[in-house]
Amino acid sequence: MTRYGMLINTRECIGCYACRTACQRQNGLEADIDFIRYEEIETGTFPVVGLECVPIQCMHCEDAPCAKVCPTGATYVTDDGIVRVHEERCIGCKYCMAACPYQVRVHNPRTGVVDKCRFCTVEASEDNPMCSCVEACVTGCRIFGDLDDPESDVSRAIVELNAQPIMGDLTKAKIFYVR
Amino acid sequence: MSEHAITRRGFLARSAIGAAAVAGAGYVGFEAWKQAHADEPGELKKAGHSLCNSCSSKCGFTAYTRDGRLATMIGDADHPYCDGTLCARGYGYASIAYSEDRLTDPLKKQGDGTFAAIDWDTAYAEIAEKVQKIIDEDGPQALVMIQDPRPSGSFYTARFMQALGSANTYTHGVACNMSKVSGMTQAIGAGDFTSDVENAKMVMFIGRSYADGIRPASLHAMQKGYQKGAKFVMVDPRYNNSMHFCTEWVPIRPGTDLALILAMAHVLITEGTYDAEYIAANTVGFEDWAARVESCTPEWAEEITGVPAETIERLAHEMWEAAPQSSIEQGWRAATGCAHQNSGETARALCLFNTLLGCWGLEGGAYTPPSQSAGKLTDPKFAAPAKPEAKIIGAAEYPLSASSMGVSTYALSQIPEGAVKGVFFYQSNCVAGYSNPVQLAEFVEAAELSVAIDVQMTETCQACQYVLPDTCYLERTEVPEFVGGKVPVVSLRDQVIEKVHPNTRPVDQIFTELAEACGVGQYFQFTVEELGDAQLQTLGLSLEQLREQGTITFPEKALKYAPKTTWGTADKKVHFTSEACEKAGFPASPGWLEPQVMPGDGQFRLIGGKQTIHTHTQTANIPNLMEITKKYGLERIWMNAQVAEEMGIQDGDEVEVSSETYTGTTRVHVTNRIEPTSIYLPSHYGCSVPEQRTAYQVGLRQMDFVPFHIEPGYGGTMSQETLVTVKKVGA
Repeated sequence: MTRYGMLINTRECIGCYACRTACQRQNGLEADIDFIRYEEIETGTFPVVGLECVPIQCMHCEDAPCAKVCPTGATYVTDDGIVRVHEERCIGCKYCMAACPYQVRVHNPRTGVVDKCRFCTVEASEDNPMCSCVEACVTGCRIFGDLDDPESDVSRAIVELNAQPIMGDLTKAKIFYVR
Repeated sequence: MSEHAITRRGFLARSAIGAAAVAGAGYVGFEAWKQAHADEPGELKKAGHSLCNSCSSKCGFTAYTRDGRLATMIGDADHPYCDGTLCARGYGYASIAYSEDRLTDPLKKQGDGTFAAIDWDTAYAEIAEKVQKIIDEDGPQALVMIQDPRPSGSFYTARFMQALGSANTYTHGVACNMSKVSGMTQAIGAGDFTSDVENAKMVMFIGRSYADGIRPASLHAMQKGYQKGAKFVMVDPRYNNSMHFCTEWVPIRPGTDLALILAMAHVLITEGTYDAEYIAANTVGFEDWAARVESCTPEWAEEITGVPAETIERLAHEMWEAAPQSSIEQGWRAATGCAHQNSGETARALCLFNTLLGCWGLEGGAYTPPSQSAGKLTDPKFAAPAKPEAKIIGAAEYPLSASSMGVSTYALSQIPEGAVKGVFFYQSNCVAGYSNPVQLAEFVEAAELSVAIDVQMTETCQACQYVLPDTCYLERTEVPEFVGGKVPVVSLRDQVIEKVHPNTRPVDQIFTELAEACGVGQYFQFTVEELGDAQLQTLGLSLEQLREQGTITFPEKALKYAPKTTWGTADKKVHFTSEACEKAGFPASPGWLEPQVMPGDGQFRLIGGKQTIHTHTQTANIPNLMEITKKYGLERIWMNAQVAEEMGIQDGDEVEVSSETYTGTTRVHVTNRIEPTSIYLPSHYGCSVPEQRTAYQVGLRQMDFVPFHIEPGYGGTMSQETLVTVKKVGA
């Protein structure tokens, strides 16, 4: 089976927002629709200071709470593990927004649809160039691939860098963070 | 349009012709033609290569369109600034093409101060009439051009002014890197060098953050160097985003970097740890500087900079231990660029410190990037107008200022004096960004003729009588851009989408037509494509080739590491001492020069700086970028956490910020990421143009707080020579 997932190395993330604006361009999103949210964590006291930036987006959970609560089946999980939204089935009830522990479902006030990251980068290839978050990251801090393939770049990096989902096993999230 | 698109269309057209031929007609009907030129709906199409316009780096990228609209952007791997990735601004700023706030027609200011649309011919005729009157009465030196360099803009503005007989073509330099270029020129005869960050053992950055004012290739080099274990020291009042790839933060009081450099030089010279051999062979005036820094002890510098003496001493030792794989990075806008009364002298001292390290030209040290340029064009139609005999206005008053940039603010100050009568702006929001906006607007409004060419209404447009609508960068082909680097290249901004607003015109057309109207059209008898092709032909290349590739490298000119032994100075040596500096009132070799103002009790120095998502004041009206500002409160000022606590100010509080020129309110971001004597105000906000509906009145504008003044000798705008007080609103 193919089971898509991502690694985000926050030690390399400079918090530059390029993934957000690239995602918007790639997916034709309006200015106020953002699939990626940033948590900036400042630690320490002047002059001994630390800084971490953590980009948060749909974790494409295996146990996706948003899919479970969706009354119309608009949110569903594909066979290769990507959580998707049938736009025409979405009635904009926002249950998914309430259920998502990561707060990454995004209501589009103009269409009424509650959208989110689509793991669109799965479509990227030489023949189909994309400025997805993975392709666009200036420091290359994101790796995407098949978690079920132990030889994939993402699987190897997860082991090597001991990357972990941001909330442990809570929802069997498929984005792994190096922090 | 792009080669690829043309090729595909050509293929379809040929198919259509083929089909028609089979039908026996030998004629392409309108339907067949239309079909051949129709894009398949929804299909992603490579539209060609362009150069980003969201900042001055102009990174190369490939544009892909869907149904004629820009869809995807991919950074070009060969472009030396881009290195395969773009930044947040690049993706966001591209939507300027479809902005609701674009200028769509030529405008003329009415008696009541509002603008009314006029036709191009009328605009040209009226402008030309005023140009002629000014030349007749006061000569061509009474005309001034200010532009933020872009490939076509640089060529056409300078040629237009030269054709009219004026030497007064300025860049935005005074508010950017004027003092750096000028100071370095005094020391090493070059305005730029590059620290070999990727291969260095140690680099000290002074007020420059590769992860905030992003040029992707520089950031990549920093990341690689960091991963290889280099020591990267960030000397900055703020713990900026580059700290992700730095090993140490040295929070310094802004405006005092010169003292730090002098003290480090003191340590190396008194301990005899410097490259004496290099200095003996390649420099003049070392003894003068050695004597001057004798009193600049680390303890002396601690008092001024706030950096502990033992830290200064340690950093000097570490730099020497890492030498020659170490350097101080050149900086850009802040400490060395245009911020302080001592910026030019700081730039000069920085080059001299690097000379002590013997790092010039060596791997891991610092190098002057090789470049390639076009050869001389032989076709008489490209013959340039004679170079005006006069010098650019301001060169005499600011003798150290780089004439390639010019002191534009001084030139504008000569409008009320009557020495300057007419002013043109091309893609320059001078009024909002180069110095005090109220003062600059007053100067411009006093001119007999004022013309701004831009894509959106700006503070500068508002101050002018005529506003001409440019096409945006995605809608036009420009003059080829030659870029220096480890491997120098030539790159192309090609048209990748059709013009969105039919009555806008590209810069090359505007200046060609304006020249025609002003009676100097003989210097513009070519298209931008003909010019570009002719330039490229001098190198055995063609426009067609460049269109296909976007960026063409010159590997034979690539950097070869070797000790640098010839410099751009008259005697080819590094100059610890400078006669020109002495004549301009500075010591022969750089010594300590106080900033113009220093904060006392209850006062702060107001500092600026780039955020990753904005450039100058030009991107704030882009909804994709401004939404980020609003969501994360990026327009807020920064205040040191301990200071805030003492003042009873909490994160998010509304505060009033006052300087001698301006008072405004905004929210505060309380943070440990800034040293206590500074208040940081991001340099992108406070737009006062209602037509910029997204940016209007968001945040405060840094330059409002800065008085109109100019750095003696060097001409910089001294953007951080201002003190503010801060108080909680309602307290």
